[in-house]
Amino acid sequence: MKEIVKVNLENEMDLILAHKRAMKLGELSGLSLLIQTSLATAVSEIARCAIEHGKNSSLLLAVDAEKGRKVLKAVIRDTSDFSAECIEAAMYAKRLVNDVVVTKSPRDFQVVLKQEVNFQGLLSDNKIQSFIDYFESEPPISAYDELRRKNIMLQDFAEKLRESDSDYKILTDSLPIMMFSASNRGIITFTNKWLRDFLHTVPTELAGSAWQTIIHPSEFSSFNKELQNAVARQISFNAEYRLRENDSEDYVWHLFSIIPIKNEKQMVTRWTGLIVDINPQKLVEQTLKDNKELQETQKELFHNQEELQKKVIELNRSNHELEQFAHLATHDLQEPLRKLFYYSDTLKRKYSASLDPSAVTVLNNMASAATRMKELINDLLNYSRLQKQNVPFEEVNLNATLIEVLKDLDIPIREKNATINIPVIPSLIGNELRLRQLFNNLISNSLKYSRTDVSPEITIDVTTNDDHIVVKVRDNGIGFEEKHKERIFGLFERLHTREQFPGTGIGLSICRKIVELHHGRITADSVLNEWSEFEITLPLTQVTTTETADLQ
Amino acid sequence: MSFPSILVVDDDREDQLILEEYFADIGVSSQVKYLDNGETTISFLEGTANADELPKLIVLDLNMPVLNGTQTLIYLKRTVRYKNIPVIIFSTSENDDEKRKCLSYGAVDYLVKPMTWDEGHAIAKKLASYIDN
Repeated sequence: MKEIVKVNLENEMDLILAHKRAMKLGELSGLSLLIQTSLATAVSEIARCAIEHGKNSSLLLAVDAEKGRKVLKAVIRDTSDFSAECIEAAMYAKRLVNDVVVTKSPRDFQVVLKQEVNFQGLLSDNKIQSFIDYFESEPPISAYDELRRKNIMLQDFAEKLRESDSDYKILTDSLPIMMFSASNRGIITFTNKWLRDFLHTVPTELAGSAWQTIIHPSEFSSFNKELQNAVARQISFNAEYRLRENDSEDYVWHLFSIIPIKNEKQMVTRWTGLIVDINPQKLVEQTLKDNKELQETQKELFHNQEELQKKVIELNRSNHELEQFAHLATHDLQEPLRKLFYYSDTLKRKYSASLDPSAVTVLNNMASAATRMKELINDLLNYSRLQKQNVPFEEVNLNATLIEVLKDLDIPIREKNATINIPVIPSLIGNELRLRQLFNNLISNSLKYSRTDVSPEITIDVTTNDDHIVVKVRDNGIGFEEKHKERIFGLFERLHTREQFPGTGIGLSICRKIVELHHGRITADSVLNEWSEFEITLPLTQVTTTETADLQ
Repeated sequence: MSFPSILVVDDDREDQLILEEYFADIGVSSQVKYLDNGETTISFLEGTANADELPKLIVLDLNMPVLNGTQTLIYLKRTVRYKNIPVIIFSTSENDDEKRKCLSYGAVDYLVKPMTWDEGHAIAKKLASYIDN
């Protein structure tokens, strides 16, 4: 069924319009004047009943096809059934048109008037369309009709506007973006759901102070400045800020953007604003930046390490060269010294008869000087050998080692009438020969630097921890001043003249070296003329190394 | 002298002369031959035809050019023909490690070079004692 035109049936004026349009459709369809009048009269009869007894009546004029023939139809519809009131009218109408059909359903009541068309060919689709066009542009019949038409149009527009407004609202509310609009005077007129949910407290003005509780405190002053500037100059503005989520303590990175909307005269009519969550991007950005910084730091570190490595290699090389030099120098010095010693002795032995006593004294002094030099060379050689050697480690019974040391020092111990207290010491991993040298040097020192007013008493004390032992060697000797407690470990450092105490100033350097070779440490403490104490910390185990054999 | 009983291997000419004086006193000079390093020693030994031509004692200084005392000692002790010849180390070094090492390589003794006339005399007598064995 092709609908041509519709007429609402509300009052007398509508009745005239219904009659007039039925006539016109008849005319356009090529019906004779008589049949036009019959159709229009039938429509009028039913329409009158509808206006008088119906509730919401309307007339629809249409063209339909039934059994291959084109039929004009006038459909009068209503939400309520008024058939009881129009029996007479329907009877009359039946005599005027080909057929009258009444249909009823609970909410729809219809009376359909049908009139066949004689000239079938006349009602092509184009022709029917031209009927529709005719009625749409039909000149108004009356001022009422005109008003009525405009009113209907207005209602249609209002409906469409309502629909589009609702569409906009649904759309903006479903977007994960905060949106708002403000009037040209800066009053916020629209906010979407996302914004209301996120901000909780929604600003009422574009440049209002409400933002202060929203924007991160450290960024608010710059934000406010930029915003005021944009509003005053009527320019768009966008920048990244942290916004407080829902009055919580969490600040989330957002892109804040406002754009002025201008009319054709370039006047700002309103503002639209967008606030987009860019926290993930920011995080990625920050991570990348951190990563880059990390890489740079790592690179720098690596570079520094390389530098350090180079320096260590250089240092090791010069150290090694120095050791080589010390070793060779002392070794090569030993040889002529021995000969000097030997020849002076030979001179004394073989030619004593021809030498006067003062010549013998000179020879003796020479031998004594050579002896001192030999001691010095021996100590130096021992020291340089400590630097050089790759010390083999084994299990060392320190008790046995100390007994050996005491045997070696038997003569001076007896001469000085010294008392030596040794506790039970656990075994440890180390180099027996070096440890023996260490304790020999320390106990020798205690005997050597003893006081004349008391008999020397040397006490060794041991405490064991999880992975190391602490050995203290304490005496009641002359001691030294507190300020020298580090100096005494230096090479050739001596606190006394040779006349007071002979020595080379290498003994404690050797001690420290031996302890360092064992990855331990040695410190000294003393009260002058009362006591001195050497504290040695040694690990119980060592990373074992093997001695490099002298096979070339 | 046809074959020396003692080989003294030392590059130090003065030490050779010191020993020579004692050997002269004892009267064994003719049985002692002096060489100045390990290599000349090995070529001398290679030049001997029979086992009975080999020396009864080899005295090795440690610090020598070309082939030093330790290297020579190791060579001698690893060579079947020479491994039974007693070797005495004769060195300036008083280092215990050095001494232990040489003894472990097969030296029969380690003598420190003399500081006095008496020491030199005692050493010469000890070396000469190997001639009669």
